[in-house]
Amino acid sequence: MVHAFACMGKNYIYDSGSGSLHECDEKTKNYVAAKYEGCGDISAFSENEISEMEKDLEGLKKEGLFLAEEVSVYPPKPSEVKALCLHICHDCNLRCRYCFADEGAYHSAREFMSEETAKAAIDFLIKNSGNRKVLEVDFFGGEPLMCLPTIKKVVAYARERSAAAGKKFLFTTTTNALLLDDDAIDFFNREMENVVLSIDGRKEVHDAIRKTVNGKGSFDLVIDKIKKFVRSRGDKSYYVRGTFTSRNLDFSKDVIFLAENGFDSISMEPVVTDIPDLAIGEEHLPAINAEYETLLARYLDKYDRGEGFNFFHFNVDLEGGVCLQKKVSACGAGNEYFSVVPNGDIYPCHQFAGDKNFLMGSVFGGELNAQIRSKFAESCLFTRQGCENCFAKFICSGGCAANNYRYEGDINKPYKITCSMMKKRIECGMHALAHKKEREKG
Amino acid sequence: MIKTVAKPSERKVTGCGECRSTCQSACKTSCTVGNQSCERITREQNPEKVK
Repeated sequence: MVHAFACMGKNYIYDSGSGSLHECDEKTKNYVAAKYEGCGDISAFSENEISEMEKDLEGLKKEGLFLAEEVSVYPPKPSEVKALCLHICHDCNLRCRYCFADEGAYHSAREFMSEETAKAAIDFLIKNSGNRKVLEVDFFGGEPLMCLPTIKKVVAYARERSAAAGKKFLFTTTTNALLLDDDAIDFFNREMENVVLSIDGRKEVHDAIRKTVNGKGSFDLVIDKIKKFVRSRGDKSYYVRGTFTSRNLDFSKDVIFLAENGFDSISMEPVVTDIPDLAIGEEHLPAINAEYETLLARYLDKYDRGEGFNFFHFNVDLEGGVCLQKKVSACGAGNEYFSVVPNGDIYPCHQFAGDKNFLMGSVFGGELNAQIRSKFAESCLFTRQGCENCFAKFICSGGCAANNYRYEGDINKPYKITCSMMKKRIECGMHALAHKKEREKG
Repeated sequence: MIKTVAKPSERKVTGCGECRSTCQSACKTSCTVGNQSCERITREQNPEKVK
């Protein structure tokens, strides 16, 4: 299928079957929208105009770049495990109201993962990884830096085991940076492939939600630590990662604040919460989608001035993106990616942690729950309801299973609010791609 | 007037499984495959950056 859209005064046609993007004039955009998407009045165009435009479109069609046939067959999924999210502790030194993990406790007792359990998780991953060489582990919480000694031992253990097993481990840590001292920085720079640091942007926005146990804002406690870490990071990956709520729908200011504080790899995510004064509802979508365009303008302005930065959600890699199998099979939660909570129990991903309906097994032995695994393994783009008629399907692959379940009660039923934001971000990302290519050409 | 901005690279391999786990990239709430790149293509284009 095709999608014709305008963004920042430019007009585009995206062909989802071929995954190609074309820039066009406004008339062609309107014509494609009317004829191929049913949006608009086809009688507004003269026969001559239609003939000219169809000639151009036919040329693209012959190249396989317009109305290209879409795959509708589900490629077989691998059954090997490739990644684990290790909940190294279910405790946190912050009390952020919007935390999906119940301020770190996951609706249960605050507890830490033992070294024995973490090592059993590494063994589980290696044992179930089949022929995969590269394995991934992310340390998650709660706040992982509350357990740095355990993390160090686990990394050393995994390195030792991987050498014998012919595997390579890539590690990631997600942290609020409160305990990010020189020792942690050295360790992260030596061992972590990626580090995700939570900061919401402007001080007043951050402090309104991200509070210490004593109820004070944490911005001043983390900003210099994160800056120091990023300065030391060299060319290794990191993200400063913020959350926006219905209270800061002007979140472009927070992204730009972060960029202007020296961070060049930024992610800003819509909150996942039911708390009424923070949750994002349908009524917020017009403002959010307009804000993405505001952000896009600032983002490209900085790019043009040589101050460009990486904004995660504007990365739409049409040329070197993931392959079709990955596009169809989505994130892999519950099949090739699992979460392990402090007592060793296994869940499909961190967002299902603690929900006994999704308890899949334990790193201490036994088989994974075949019924749950099969449900996740079979869940793919072609099982997601309503995606067949969406231009974004090969980019979003039907959205986040956890969000779908949380808000729609079914991992295969896409959450409409996420869909709306996703489509807008994709259009922005496509415009950013076109803009950068144009500038590169000079 | 129509000009092609981008089209996918030709691929010899699909489903090799080398790609990063989607949920480990940045957000852990709304990461999608569309924000990811193919590890193989990235490695082939930037061999010096890959150990």
